[in-house]
Amino acid sequence: MKVEAIEYGDRKVYSVGAFNRGVASWLQRLPTVWVEGEVTELRRSDRWASVFFTLKDPQDGSCLGVSIARGQFDALRLELADGDRVHAYGRPELFEARGEFRLRALSLERFGLGDHLAALERLKTKLAGEGLFAAERKRPLPLLPARIGLVTGNDAAAKRDVLTAVTTRFPPANVLVAETYVQGPRAAGAVVEALGALCRESVDVIVVARGGGSFEDLLPFSDERLVRAIADCPVPVVSAVGHEQDTPLCDLAADVRASTPSVAGRLVVPDLAQLLERLGRSRAGLERGARRSLERERRRLVTTHERLVRAPRLLLERRRAKLEQSAGRLRALSPKATLERGYAIVRAGDELVRSGRAVATGERVEVELADGGFGARVEETR
Amino acid sequence: MTFEEAQQELETIVQRLESGEAPLDEALKLWERGEELYRFCKERLDGAEGKIEELASRAEAAKP
Repeated sequence: MKVEAIEYGDRKVYSVGAFNRGVASWLQRLPTVWVEGEVTELRRSDRWASVFFTLKDPQDGSCLGVSIARGQFDALRLELADGDRVHAYGRPELFEARGEFRLRALSLERFGLGDHLAALERLKTKLAGEGLFAAERKRPLPLLPARIGLVTGNDAAAKRDVLTAVTTRFPPANVLVAETYVQGPRAAGAVVEALGALCRESVDVIVVARGGGSFEDLLPFSDERLVRAIADCPVPVVSAVGHEQDTPLCDLAADVRASTPSVAGRLVVPDLAQLLERLGRSRAGLERGARRSLERERRRLVTTHERLVRAPRLLLERRRAKLEQSAGRLRALSPKATLERGYAIVRAGDELVRSGRAVATGERVEVELADGGFGARVEETR
Repeated sequence: MTFEEAQQELETIVQRLESGEAPLDEALKLWERGEELYRFCKERLDGAEGKIEELASRAEAAKP
């Protein structure tokens, strides 16, 4: 299409209509493509030739106006509601009268549960391949967190369940609650932000809690950014999202998965009563142990003292016994004892007589007995 | 020192004491250390006042 410009000297100036027509005709050269987004602000009237709605990017909230011929729209019988995910097939178009840019849709398909599941499965496989869900990545929860972070919606149930469980088990708990969107297109980004904000407040552990909901409601918790943020969170994360049977990907990336918000609450704090009891037992053991050591040392001292006291008497007795023994041996060796048994000692002059040939007949000998003695003369020798 | 570390050390000390193997000097030192750890743990449990805060209101309060 030829676009006429008015010339003012060497300046070419276009009228608004001409500019719009020019851009519009240029846009028409772009190819027909599929665009995915969530339907919002659907406007349909029997008086209008087209149906209008806005497609919203659930990731970053970008918006795109869409128009589609009413006949075409009605024939598709999609019965779209706000938030429904669709694929729109069309090309960019400029609505010349208002200079409004939009997508002129030729066809529209609901992006169904099956597609969501398939997309989810692909993401799961990819993240698992990166090791995001690996068991060795899981960190233990601190026994006694100084401060607990809680990411939750402003709806009462999940938040109340976590807080009740925490404070019942451990009354001195310190909890910092980050209320945020837990549903809809802003949820994933908001939860990621809340995680960051809580970490900046130096919490020791974070609970992400959200009650049950439809598959679509829980989709933000399988959002890639959110899942990565949980895996990368500098402190351990407990995920309690949806019901037992739901497994949003954030559950897989979290360090611990809790089946309900109450369970999550019980997991992040110790039982105060149990802790006090254990501490009490330790203290009793401490006293008992110290007393036992002391008692044993005391007993050892008493025994040592007794031995010390006994030592000199023992020495004396031992000496006395030794003396008696010596005396006994001395006595045994003395000739006196032999004489007592009836032997006699015979002397001739100064010599002891040991042989009959040592004396002559008629020689005088002296006989010594055990008791006294006598002199005698030799009658005969043999 | 974290609560966990203190509790762990306390329980190790109790075991050592109860084994009766520690000489008196060591036993007394262990006992003293154990009491110190016990007080540390107890204070962590008794001293803390339970507190539930909203992050949003904190952020609000932090603004000048």
